[in-house]
Amino acid sequence: MAAVQTDQVTLTVNGQSVTVPKGTLILDAAKKVGIDIPIFCSHPKMAPVAVCRMCLVEVEKMPKLQPACAVYVADGMVVKTTTEQVGKYQKGVLEFLLINHPLDCPICDKGGECPLQDQTYQYGPGASRFDFQKAHFDKAVPLSDKILLDRERCILCWRCTRFSEEISGERELALIQRGVHTIIGTFNDEPAQSNYQGNWTEICPVGALTSRQYRFISRPWDLDRTASVCPGCSMGCNIQIDARNNRIGRFQSRENLAVDDGWLCDFGRYSFPNFQRTGQDRPQIRRNGTLEEVSYDEAIAFAADGLKQAGRQVAGWASPADSNEEFFLFRRLFREVFESPNLDHRAGTLVDAEPDDMALAIEDIERCDQVVVLGGQEVIDAAPVLHLRLFKSQRKGVNVANVGASEVAEAVAGVRPDCTAVGILATEANKQAAVDLQRKLSRKVKGSVRRLIVTTGPNGRGAKDLGILPHLGPGYASLNGQEGKGRPEWPGAGVKALYVHASSALHGFVPNDAESMWLPGLPLVIFHRFRASPLDELAHVILPGRAFTEKNGTVTNMEGRVQRIRSGIDAEAIRDDWRVFQEIANHLGASWNYESVDQITADLLRAVPPYAALNQGARVLWSEPS
Amino acid sequence: MAIKPLLTKDFATENLEQLKVYERTGGYAGFKKTLEMQPDALVDMVKKSGLRGRGGAGFPTGNKWSFLPKGVYPRYLVCNADESEPGCFKDRYLMEESPHQVLEGILIASYAIGCNLAFIYIRGEYLPQHEALENAIDEARQAGYLGKNVLGKGYDIDVILHRGAGAYICGEETAMLTSLEGYRGEPRLKPPFPAVKGLYGKPTVVNNVETVANLPHIVLNGADWFKAIGTPTGSGTRLWCMSGHVNRPGNYEMENGTPIRELIEEHGGGVWKNRKLKAFQPGGASMMVLLPEHLDVGLDFDAIAKAGSLAGAGAMVVMDETTCMVDAARRYVKFFEHESCGKCTPCREGTYWMANIFDRFEGGEAKPGDIDLLLDIGYNIDGRSFCPLGDASTWFPRSVIKFFRDEFQEHISEKGCPFKKSVQEAVA
Repeated sequence: MAAVQTDQVTLTVNGQSVTVPKGTLILDAAKKVGIDIPIFCSHPKMAPVAVCRMCLVEVEKMPKLQPACAVYVADGMVVKTTTEQVGKYQKGVLEFLLINHPLDCPICDKGGECPLQDQTYQYGPGASRFDFQKAHFDKAVPLSDKILLDRERCILCWRCTRFSEEISGERELALIQRGVHTIIGTFNDEPAQSNYQGNWTEICPVGALTSRQYRFISRPWDLDRTASVCPGCSMGCNIQIDARNNRIGRFQSRENLAVDDGWLCDFGRYSFPNFQRTGQDRPQIRRNGTLEEVSYDEAIAFAADGLKQAGRQVAGWASPADSNEEFFLFRRLFREVFESPNLDHRAGTLVDAEPDDMALAIEDIERCDQVVVLGGQEVIDAAPVLHLRLFKSQRKGVNVANVGASEVAEAVAGVRPDCTAVGILATEANKQAAVDLQRKLSRKVKGSVRRLIVTTGPNGRGAKDLGILPHLGPGYASLNGQEGKGRPEWPGAGVKALYVHASSALHGFVPNDAESMWLPGLPLVIFHRFRASPLDELAHVILPGRAFTEKNGTVTNMEGRVQRIRSGIDAEAIRDDWRVFQEIANHLGASWNYESVDQITADLLRAVPPYAALNQGARVLWSEPS
Repeated sequence: MAIKPLLTKDFATENLEQLKVYERTGGYAGFKKTLEMQPDALVDMVKKSGLRGRGGAGFPTGNKWSFLPKGVYPRYLVCNADESEPGCFKDRYLMEESPHQVLEGILIASYAIGCNLAFIYIRGEYLPQHEALENAIDEARQAGYLGKNVLGKGYDIDVILHRGAGAYICGEETAMLTSLEGYRGEPRLKPPFPAVKGLYGKPTVVNNVETVANLPHIVLNGADWFKAIGTPTGSGTRLWCMSGHVNRPGNYEMENGTPIRELIEEHGGGVWKNRKLKAFQPGGASMMVLLPEHLDVGLDFDAIAKAGSLAGAGAMVVMDETTCMVDAARRYVKFFEHESCGKCTPCREGTYWMANIFDRFEGGEAKPGDIDLLLDIGYNIDGRSFCPLGDASTWFPRSVIKFFRDEFQEHISEKGCPFKKSVQEAVA
C-alpha cells in the first residue's frame, strides 16, 4: 500500500490532538488548540532564537526540555506543557530573569502591560531566593531623541536587535559585552537614526525600551483606547489612540497584515502632539479689522451671508486629512449649494488622478518578482512603513530597484523580461514618470505591471475618489464641461470667497507666494480648522473644527482601502465639522437633516457604491485595472 | 600497560616543526597515500578505525563526515584549535611540537569530505602555536601540499589560519563558525547542524586538532591497526594534560584504557609533597570530580562516563588533601560566569548567581540553605541552557557537593574556609 503523502502532521499537546502543516513550531501548534506557552524572545515575525528559555516544554523521546519557539512539530510528537518538571523550570527561569531585574514596576511605563510582570504572576515563584546585590547598569540611556533604554530592566531577549536586523534591516542595535554584562546598544553609542524605533518599545517584553514622549505619562489601565488610523501619511497604518484624561498619550500599532504588517513609523507614531488640543478654541469673526469671539451660530450665519454675496465665485479647499464624510458633504456644499466647481485638496502641482494609480496593493508588493521604487528615498519618506514591506519582500527574494525619478530608461533596462509581476512605487510628484515607466515595462516584460502612487495626506486618495477636484467627480467621473478652477488658478480667477477646511496641522493650507499676495485682497476667507495657523490672520471667519483624531468617519489609504477612524478624544465644545457644513447649507436654503456621521456614511455608500468595500475592510475597486 | 606513543612518537626529534624533518619521520606519506584513495574509501577507513573526536564529546569522526548532504558544495572543514578549557593544553602541545602533523591531518580530512578550503580556528592566546602553524602552512604551500592541483593529483586545497579573540565560547562549534564569519561569537540554534548548514551556510565539518593529528597514522597503518590500540569502543591513544598537585605535570600520551592510577602515579610521579590524593578531575573544567576510589578506572570515554564523569578534552587535574573543594568549585564557576556569552537566561544569570554564592562560602557568610540552593540553580541550568557551556558550568560544583558536602557544611559552621590554615602551612 502506498503511503499517503501529506504536508500535515498530527501531534498531541497536553493530550489534545492537533493537526498542523509541516514546519509549524510547537508553540504555534499549541496555540491552535488554545494552549498558551509563555514566551519572551519569540516573535511571530522574527526567526526563532530560543535565547530566553521561557518556553521549554517536555517532548516525549527527547531527553531534555525543548524550546517550543524553535522546535518544529513532527508526526506523532507528544508535547507536554504543564508537567511538574516544566512548571518547576518555569519558576526557575523567571527567578533567573528577575535576579538582575530592578523590579521597579511601580514607576515603570510598562507596568500593567508587561509580559515579564504578567508571566511572573502566572508562572513565577512568589519570592526570590536571590539575596545578593543585583548587577547594576545604566538607566534611562538615550538611544536617540525618541527612545530611552533602561539596561537594568532589559532581559536580553534580542527582539529589538532582531527587529533592527530582520524587519527594518538597519542593524542599528547590537549586543555588546558578554555574560551577565551583556547590554544592548548602538555602535559607538551614536544616536539611533531609524524611523522605526517606536516599534522597539512595543516589541520589548519589559520596560527597557520606552518612548521619551510617553515617559511617565500614564499607567496602561488609565488609558482610553480607540481603534483608528494613523494621520501621518497615506499608508493608512492602523493605530490605537491611547488617551488619558482626554489627552493623547501615545499612538500604538494595531496590526493589519494587509497594510502595516503590525508596524508604525516614528513619523506617524510620534505625530500625535500635532493633534493635541491646546486650550479653548472659539469661533471668531472679523469686525472692523479685528477678530472677536462669537458663538458658532453667529459665525455660521456670518459665513453663510458672506458666501451668499460671493455667489458662485467661491473656491473651496479641503485638506487631504479630512474624512470621506466631510469630503462628501463639502463637495455637496459646493456643487449643490454654492453651485461652484472650484474645489481642490491638493497643495502644489496638479496631478491627474485615476484608478490605475492604486492597482498595486501594498501587500502585493511581496508577490511581485520585481519592484521599482521610482524616486527611491522620496517614496519612503512619503510613506515610511513601505520600507518595511519592501525589506520584507527583499528577504523573500523580491528584487527591489531604487532608481531616481528621472531614470526611467535605466529602470526599464534593469528589469528582466521574464518577470511575471512588476510593481512600481512613486510619489504623486513623479506620477507621470511612473506612468511612462509602466507603459515601457508593459511592452518589455511578459507579466503584469502595476503601479501604486503614494498620495499626499492620510486621505488624499479619498479626496480624489470623492471628487475634491476641479475636473473630476466622484469615482473619477468626467464633469462634461462643468470643470472648475484648481487651486493654482484661483488667484486671478475672480474668486470672491475662499473656504478652507483642515483637520491636521501636518496637511494644512500653506499659502505659496502667489496666494500670499492674493489672500489679503479677498472679501471673504473662511478658515474652518483644527489648529490656529498664520492663515488665522487673514481669515474673516474662523470656525474651530475637530482634529483627525477627534472625529468619527472613514478614510481611504493610498491603495484605496477604506478604513474607519474614530474619535479618541472627546472634543465636546467643538461642533462637528459635518454639522457646520450642514448648517451653512441650510442657511443658504438647503434642507439637509443628517443626525450622525453614520447617516452620512450610508448616504456616501449609496452615492458611491464601490465604497461599500468599507464593510469588508477591503480596497475600493473602480473597475478592472487596465 | 606500556605507552605506545602515536602522535608524540617523534616529538624527541629536533626541529620536528620543520617540513624536511617532519618528512624524514614519515610525514606527509599519509597524505600522499590519501590522494591515491577514493574519498569514500577514506571515510570508511576512518569509520572502521573507531576514531572518536578528541575535542570532548567523543563523537565517531567517520560518522560525522558522512552526515554531509550529498552533492552540496562548497563544503568546509574547520579545525577546532580554540583550546580554552582550564586544565587542557594538549592541542597547544601538538601544534607547537609538530604543526605539520596537524596540517597533514587537516589535508586528509579535507580530501575525505571533498573540501577545498579548510580553516584553523586557533585560540587567540596561542601565539607561538599560531606562528608554528603559519610557518608550516607556508612550507607546505611551497612544497606543493597546499594550493591548486596538489602533487599533480588534481585536488585543490588551501588552509586559512584564523585567530580567535579570547572567548571560551568560540570553542563550541557553532559559536566558532559564527565567530569565523565575523560575527559575535555565540552558539547557533541546532538544527540545522553544521554538517548541513555550517560555515557561510554550507556543509561543514568541525574536527579537533588531536582528532585530525591521528589521521596520517590511520591512513598509513590501516583501520585494523588503529582499532587494535586502546579499548573496543575507544581506539587509539589520547593526550592527557596532567596538572595540579603532581610531581611531574605535563602532557602524556596514553593508550586508551590505561588505568588512571598509572597516569598519575607512574607517569606523573604521584601526588606532590608526599601528600594524599583527595580528588581528581578528568576532562577539563566542566567535568565531574572523581575520587581515589576511581583510580583504577581506565582512561577511556566510556569507562570514565561509567564512573560518573567525562573524559572531555583530556585534562587530568590532580588535587591533594589540602585542597579546598569548595574553593576549587568556586574557581571553576567563576570561569564559567566570566565566559558565559550571555545569550541564554539560565547560563547568563545562573552562573552569576552561583558565583555569588560561592563567594559567600569563601567569605564565611554562607547560609544553611545555600548548598541546596546551589543544587537547585544547577538543576535549572543543566539541560536548560542554549549550549553545553551552561550545562557544563554546573557539573563540577554539583559533583563536589555530592562527594564533599561536609566541606560546604564546615564553611557554613566555621564561617569561612577550614583549609586556609593548612594551605598556609603547606606553602610555608
